[in-house]
Amino acid sequence: MVRNYRTRSLRAWTLKQLIEEDTSIRETMTLFWHNHYVTGNINDPVFEYRYINLLRENATGNFRELTKKITIDPAMLRYLNGNQNVVAAPNENYARELLELFTIGKGPLVGPGDYTNYTEQDVIQIARVLTGWRDRGYNSSNPDQPVDVEFRYNQHDKLPKLLSPRFDNAIINDMADQEYAYLIDLIFTKDECARFISRKLYRWFVYYVIDDYVEQNVIEPLAQIIVDNDYEIKPALDALLRSEHFFDSLSIGPMIKNPLDFMISALRNTNFSLAQFNLDQEYTILWNIFRLNSEGMQMIYFNPPSVAGWKAYYQEPAFYRTWINSATLGVRQNYTARIVNNGYAGAGGVAKLDVLSFVASLDDPFDPNSVIAEFASILFPQPISQAQKDALKGVLIPGLPDFEWTVEYSDYVNNPGDPNLAAAVEDKLRNLLTAMLSMPEFYLS
Amino acid sequence: MKRRKFLQTTSLSIPFLLNGFRLGAMPMSSLFSSLNVDNDRVLVLINLIGGNDGLNMVIPLDQYDKLANARGNILLPQNQLLNLGFDNALHPTMAGLKGLFDNGKMTVVQSVGYPNQNRSHFRSSDIWSTGSPAAEVWTSGWLGRYLDQEYPGYPTGYPNSEYPDPFAITIGSLVSETCQGTVTNFSLAINDPFNLNPLADPVSEPVPDTPYGDELSFLRTSIAQTNLYSESIELAANAGANVVNYPEDSTLGRALKNVALMISGGLQTKVYVVSIGGFDTHANQVDPDDSTVGNHANLLAQLSQAVSAFQLDLQAQGLDERVLCMTFSEFGRRIRSNESYGTDHGDAAPLMLFGSCVAPGFLGDNPEIPDDPEVQEALPMQYDFRNVYGSVLQDWFQISEENVRQILYAGYQHLPIIQGCETVSSASETGAPVEISAVPNPFVNQLRVSFACGNERVRLSVYNSIGHEMAVAFDKKLSAGEHQTTIDAHNWPAGHYYLHLQLEKGRQKTQMLVKSR
Repeated sequence: MVRNYRTRSLRAWTLKQLIEEDTSIRETMTLFWHNHYVTGNINDPVFEYRYINLLRENATGNFRELTKKITIDPAMLRYLNGNQNVVAAPNENYARELLELFTIGKGPLVGPGDYTNYTEQDVIQIARVLTGWRDRGYNSSNPDQPVDVEFRYNQHDKLPKLLSPRFDNAIINDMADQEYAYLIDLIFTKDECARFISRKLYRWFVYYVIDDYVEQNVIEPLAQIIVDNDYEIKPALDALLRSEHFFDSLSIGPMIKNPLDFMISALRNTNFSLAQFNLDQEYTILWNIFRLNSEGMQMIYFNPPSVAGWKAYYQEPAFYRTWINSATLGVRQNYTARIVNNGYAGAGGVAKLDVLSFVASLDDPFDPNSVIAEFASILFPQPISQAQKDALKGVLIPGLPDFEWTVEYSDYVNNPGDPNLAAAVEDKLRNLLTAMLSMPEFYLS
Repeated sequence: MKRRKFLQTTSLSIPFLLNGFRLGAMPMSSLFSSLNVDNDRVLVLINLIGGNDGLNMVIPLDQYDKLANARGNILLPQNQLLNLGFDNALHPTMAGLKGLFDNGKMTVVQSVGYPNQNRSHFRSSDIWSTGSPAAEVWTSGWLGRYLDQEYPGYPTGYPNSEYPDPFAITIGSLVSETCQGTVTNFSLAINDPFNLNPLADPVSEPVPDTPYGDELSFLRTSIAQTNLYSESIELAANAGANVVNYPEDSTLGRALKNVALMISGGLQTKVYVVSIGGFDTHANQVDPDDSTVGNHANLLAQLSQAVSAFQLDLQAQGLDERVLCMTFSEFGRRIRSNESYGTDHGDAAPLMLFGSCVAPGFLGDNPEIPDDPEVQEALPMQYDFRNVYGSVLQDWFQISEENVRQILYAGYQHLPIIQGCETVSSASETGAPVEISAVPNPFVNQLRVSFACGNERVRLSVYNSIGHEMAVAFDKKLSAGEHQTTIDAHNWPAGHYYLHLQLEKGRQKTQMLVKSR
């Protein structure tokens, strides 16, 4: 019961962080790391909170040091069976993903068990390096006790571990609870780790196609910045997000928004606010938004579909397009229609877009052409065509000349106390925004 | 009363009334073309996501003692296994499938995999979805390439009056990569065929020739097609019926129920993909106290109940000869269990086909379990999965052998897994015994191999215990008669290896041991 409640509030709180993030990229990077060092199905908010906070605190920090911390994170020890990895029965699940997905990446298979950057031998030996750790301290009858990890030296493999030629035949001798850190330092001596994370950052922030040009002109320099800065991520992010390439018009708008981004983007820059609600209402509403959309849109925070993360960021050839199909499209359109019109309810409060305050924030809300153009510039990554603007005007003021909008809107502004005037204008705006948020242009960023 | 309720209660007469076609909605041209040009056969793929432990599903009884040695902590008690005959038994929870097997509606192909097994979930799923060789990255799915050949140009111009229905449907919210064509994915993702709300149709405008334009155009096409196909799916769902009870608490049960409904309603979709996750049983595959229950048992029970209900539903409606069902999973698991009552990523595993047109029984030999398997050791491949795929394309979808080779690989060899129902089986492995001699065994450096063949294509290769192809001695057409060769193992580590001889008319696999020097 307590656990259920905490599970919900953690998700509601996480959504709130995303909605309220302004120009910082901390939450985006937290989600990036969640998609990178995946854990899922932990079903325990105490573990989840510790895990996500670790990612949040290190969101723009040091890649190598974060890898050390996540390696002995209690949720991760559970998720990839590190807590069952003992000298008598090594479990190689984490060791494999550490190499394949978390640090250096898997290259082409060039020999028996040889994946260019590492070999099957390394997986076995690294599993031995990581023996002895387990999560500790959680007690279902005392859920307030913080979870922690412990190292049991008697379960640790104390014999030397011999890595493959891919790691220069390195030998790792017993270093007890410092051995994992030594191992990760050793993996990060390979610059391939910097290239690997650079490609992932590129696919997260720019586009999924990494051709030779991008490899040479973006990935390689970015990786060099990461290496030069001893695996600090912030300088690389600064470089990437301020680069000409990032702002190159070809790079603007080719990303199909992931479901969270999609949901949040309908709430940000549209004067959406939760300030009017009490805490109970706010959290219930956010939980409902999360609950009713995450699964249908195929992106559940705290539950990526597999240890590789969401397919949109690795599955060739579709990449971002995996978000879109006949099932998820319906859920997306339902969501935008609902957030504009009926809203999401919770504990007696109902949250929806405040279209009147949104339109009032525009430069010229009195001119219907300007309303459409300004909304479009806020909601869409690239300009829309005249035919599309005309079609949208047909939604805002069907069959009427432009000045009728000006007349109706002025009436409302001059008589703010008249609910009928407000309702008339509001209805028209809700129709317009429903149509705009259902346009495929809104799905792009 | 809703129309579909009415149809459910009177459903037994529906096949006679509608004969599997949605008469009102389908133009005559389509009716004729579907009789002439296309066959009306349906393939249902069941993806067991995570890597299914074949040794805990189809248990080779002649290896039971060796399994007891290698995986004693998860071993099923012998007296609870469901004996199928042929020295094989099913997991105790799979009574439904035993019924299908006993009635000749099920085939088990032993030890299906591919050379150089990759033990990464993602890579191996990609290999199974695309049908690529292990070392090559392909971006289209094996069914996508088949559909590309049949319906060139898709999605431009589809749906149309001749082909009003989607060619493939994935039940769920993600389209299956097996159906990825060169331009777009052929499959539509559907959760509930009764609840497909129309989407707002976008204004069609030319898009710029930029990545932005590409993605925008993809989105517009997806929306438009979803709307067009939704209409025909809803019509079929409303016209269709289920006449048996499915396990309602199971996702797979609900998925197959909807597939049967759409087939029954006359939807001309050729491929359905359903999936069930959770097979990555590193830990707690079985309960420590009782190996017959636990995570894997629950999954197998779900699979068995859902598939048997589906088959009975189709049989009761007279649709069973149009439908073939096939399982696939990215890999099997290791021979040895681990200390967490689980199993780790392995290599080959049995693949199952269900339906009234399968060649029933077992294809292939039982896996051989070594006396003392290495920790990393898994089952060597006996059949290349691409030969299973190819035989389905050839016999079920009636694609020429030459086209099958183009879609899959040049070395494709037909397998006798489908029979009856007017399938056109061509040259087929007869299962005739193949003689091979390999001496000395165990050996240190060199192994002498001799065998006889007809005038036929021969592939003789050696695999190590993790499925890597170490050497290929022959892969070409040989003249009839006796042939000899020497396998050089100088640089190989000591351990188990498998000699694999594939002829056109049969195959043989021999275990061999390289001793330490």
